[in-house]
Amino acid sequence: MKRKLCELGLIILFYLLQVSLCRVIAIGGVAPNLMIILPVLFGYFNGSKEGMYTGFCAGIMYDLFFTDLLGFTALMFTLIGFFSGMLSNRYEEGNFVIPIFLTAGAVLFYEFFVFIGNFLLQNRLILSYFMTRVIIPEIVYTVIAMLILYKPLHLLNKVLDSRKRKVKDIDETIL
Amino acid sequence: MNNKIKNFFTPAKILAIISIFCAALIAVSFFSDKLVSPLREAVSFVVVPLQRGVNGLGIGVVKGEEKRKTIEELQSYTSELEEKIADLEARNQQLKTDNKELDDLKKLYDMDKSLADYPKVGATIIGISSQNWNESFIIDKGSNDGMEEEMNVISADGLVGIITEVHGNYSKVMTVVSDNSYVTAMDESTKDQCTVKGDISLLDSGKIRLERMKADAGVKDGDKIVTSNISSKYLPGILIGFAGEITEDETGMTKSGYLVPAVDFDHLQNVLVITQKKQVTE
Repeated sequence: MKRKLCELGLIILFYLLQVSLCRVIAIGGVAPNLMIILPVLFGYFNGSKEGMYTGFCAGIMYDLFFTDLLGFTALMFTLIGFFSGMLSNRYEEGNFVIPIFLTAGAVLFYEFFVFIGNFLLQNRLILSYFMTRVIIPEIVYTVIAMLILYKPLHLLNKVLDSRKRKVKDIDETIL
Repeated sequence: MNNKIKNFFTPAKILAIISIFCAALIAVSFFSDKLVSPLREAVSFVVVPLQRGVNGLGIGVVKGEEKRKTIEELQSYTSELEEKIADLEARNQQLKTDNKELDDLKKLYDMDKSLADYPKVGATIIGISSQNWNESFIIDKGSNDGMEEEMNVISADGLVGIITEVHGNYSKVMTVVSDNSYVTAMDESTKDQCTVKGDISLLDSGKIRLERMKADAGVKDGDKIVTSNISSKYLPGILIGFAGEITEDETGMTKSGYLVPAVDFDHLQNVLVITQKKQVTE
């Protein structure tokens, strides 16, 4: 329970960073997608359930303020959390290859669907422009942001884990 | 019992449940905003004050940065400004005389409703959409402060956008550079009608599109483009930007070109909301 609340707090913090700080650090109008890092990393650390939970909450948070279709980002982020959770059995401390590919894949997946919703359905086939001008820079930028945030989030995850284990140990000793 | 429930909820099943739930939410919010607005209100009640705080922090950082500007920089800036003041004073004198003339003429035409007379409310931007191609932002005033949908949003330089969503303590503004924005506009001097349209593929150039001018329109490069009096949502006479690169279309029936917005959207902090809406008689 504490873990879930802590993650919810983290989501709100990331949302605040996303809507304020990202505007300042945007390069050429492209900002990193911080919200997407949460389902990717938490799924990768702790498995699908955790990834889906953070993905759903982060997505709903984003939808409430910025998307016209409530639930769209939530669905995308939940799927992202689920798939990165499937790779959690390959989790290894200090291995950056899988999270990098997961983050890149997640941004590509999400932005591509946003593109379909916003432009393809309005008959505007300018995919190559978007790929080079928006999606690929965003992928690179988000991966860099993920690498910077990896260590703190990993540490936080560990702290939450140890607390959980302690509680379990106490439970077991009582029993 | 507890274990049974745990075993039943495998990740795949949870995914299926959440997916169906999200699909239902999408479907509901596609048709109506009523069901989700209580949720919006509840979350915004918690988040908007936080956003205000973070924004205040940002302003503090910017102010700190400004303080660190070197004295030399400021001195050169001061002399530059002094020149400007002299220039402006001269121009002001000129304008005063012009204004008097204008007032007389306005009285003559019984048309004393200019932009300065509209009731306006100041608001601060507290959040920017991170979807990199949909320029919309959130301001810290909502229906509690008398905001309504379709109110025009301006800055000191010109038209910023229009309010598209209003909630208790915040509202969403769509900017004119947003890809799905259309504004009916006209040339300030020649009164030729045209359409100003945001375009994502012009992101780098800092321009937007100027379309649907008649072939015989006398719009020239550098002309001021203002909101049109026939626009259904925008109040007339608000500066949008300056025309450029006007060319005739292939069909020969229309002309189009580009428009450089008067507002610097990258460094926008405070905006003004005109609380009077354009009234269209149907």
